[in-house]
Amino acid sequence: MTPAPRTLELFYDVLSPYSWLGFEVLCRYKKLWNINLQLRPSLIAAIMKDSGNQPPALLPRKAQYLQNDIRLLGQHIQVPIQLPKDFFSVILEKGSLSAMRFLTAVNLEHPKMLEKVSRELWMRVWSRAAEKAGMSTEQAQGLLEKISTPKVKNELRDTTNAACKYGAFGLPVTVAHLDGQTHMLFGSDRMELLAHLLGEKWMGPVPPAINAKI
Amino acid sequence: MTPAPRTLELFYDVLSPYSWLGFEVLCRYKKLWNINLQLRPSLIAAIMKDSGNQPPALLPRKAQYLQNDIRLLGQHIQVPIQLPKDFFSVILEKGSLSAMRFLTAVNLEHPKMLEKVSRELWMRVWSRVRTELWEPAWETLDGVLTLPRTISSILVLPFPLFTGLLVPRLHPLHLLPAVFSSSQDEDISEPKSILAAAEKAGMSTEQAQGLLEKISTPKVKNELRDTTNAACKYGAFGLPVTVAHLDGQTHMLFGSDRMELLAHLLGEKWMGPVPPAINAKI
Repeated sequence: MTPAPRTLELFYDVLSPYSWLGFEVLCRYKKLWNINLQLRPSLIAAIMKDSGNQPPALLPRKAQYLQNDIRLLGQHIQVPIQLPKDFFSVILEKGSLSAMRFLTAVNLEHPKMLEKVSRELWMRVWSRAAEKAGMSTEQAQGLLEKISTPKVKNELRDTTNAACKYGAFGLPVTVAHLDGQTHMLFGSDRMELLAHLLGEKWMGPVPPAINAKI
Repeated sequence: MTPAPRTLELFYDVLSPYSWLGFEVLCRYKKLWNINLQLRPSLIAAIMKDSGNQPPALLPRKAQYLQNDIRLLGQHIQVPIQLPKDFFSVILEKGSLSAMRFLTAVNLEHPKMLEKVSRELWMRVWSRVRTELWEPAWETLDGVLTLPRTISSILVLPFPLFTGLLVPRLHPLHLLPAVFSSSQDEDISEPKSILAAAEKAGMSTEQAQGLLEKISTPKVKNELRDTTNAACKYGAFGLPVTVAHLDGQTHMLFGSDRMELLAHLLGEKWMGPVPPAINAKI
């Protein structure tokens, strides 16, 4: 009999391109590894503020680097991510409060839709290939009405605070609960290390589906 | 006929723990991939200043995170790296100017020694395990049998010595004889410490002393400055920086965690941070 699945929490924000990369890799591996992946919509702006950190794009050489890094990683990880030239003003001006409240509401009411809706939002922000997530108009409308309720606001705040308590200074943050220990891993580039901690096999960012447990 | 090897430049500073991790991975893969690895000793302090960046350890949560990250990565990548609690004051107060000038001099006069001397300096800053107990070189079976210091490992550890699958041996501390080392975090800004590292790497005292005398010459100072400027020109804001020259294009990759992506760019196979030696081209 297989041992109990290990819980992984993924804290993310659709405003964070690296969050999208980490998200896709974990979504692929949740079928392959003995894990229970819990998606935790969070606010990166609040985490930056709480930790005293600053978005990397504020440093010119980092902003320059990010553009190439995300493009190459997108190719390698096979995620259709494209940073527009003004990506940082997208981050600064638009923010993600409504989007993350919306995802929080989805998580509260239709958690099984969370993965697809998150992906759809990322596609809208960071890709020119938007897909439909399959949510009915009524569902979407109902959720939009809920995003400013205290329940949703509090849930988003609590989730973001949880990330801060784990020591987050940015996103994505993956928290693995293993044998009574908690490991916080920052970035989309700690997945191979995560495999090592889980005692699972790393098969690159695009693992073959044929290994999927049925 | 195999195509020409691709040139990779690795800019690093012994003050940078992540540089050590990236360095060890690339040293393992240089025998496995069709690459020409050029080590480029640089000054991280100057890169920070030039780019307007700050060491991550200045942010409390990052400093906290780094400690665990480096510990876990060290285990995964099998590099005996241990951050002392005051690691950041090591970085701030001691600096690495002398050490990096020394490595620059080594690169100018005895480039084949650069890898080993660099490793010894990292060991002095970031490790509590003596090098003779951690053999990072890929050894043939002959080498294992003739080197006396590894015999204790044969007796003590259940390694599959005869399968041809040899990995860098990090000896569990409790299995070692009492002659095991104490803390290594010695001051690499001290000349005698640099000399000791060079000698441990296999340099004679005369060679090492001769190079030490050269570290304040214009030639060495300029070379270190030029190398550091080259890193900045590539867009560096920290270290390690790996620059891959491929098909007329240049790719700058920052961090020890871009090696799998590098494999992808090179069209080579990524076999994790501790690749099996049996695939080594002879």
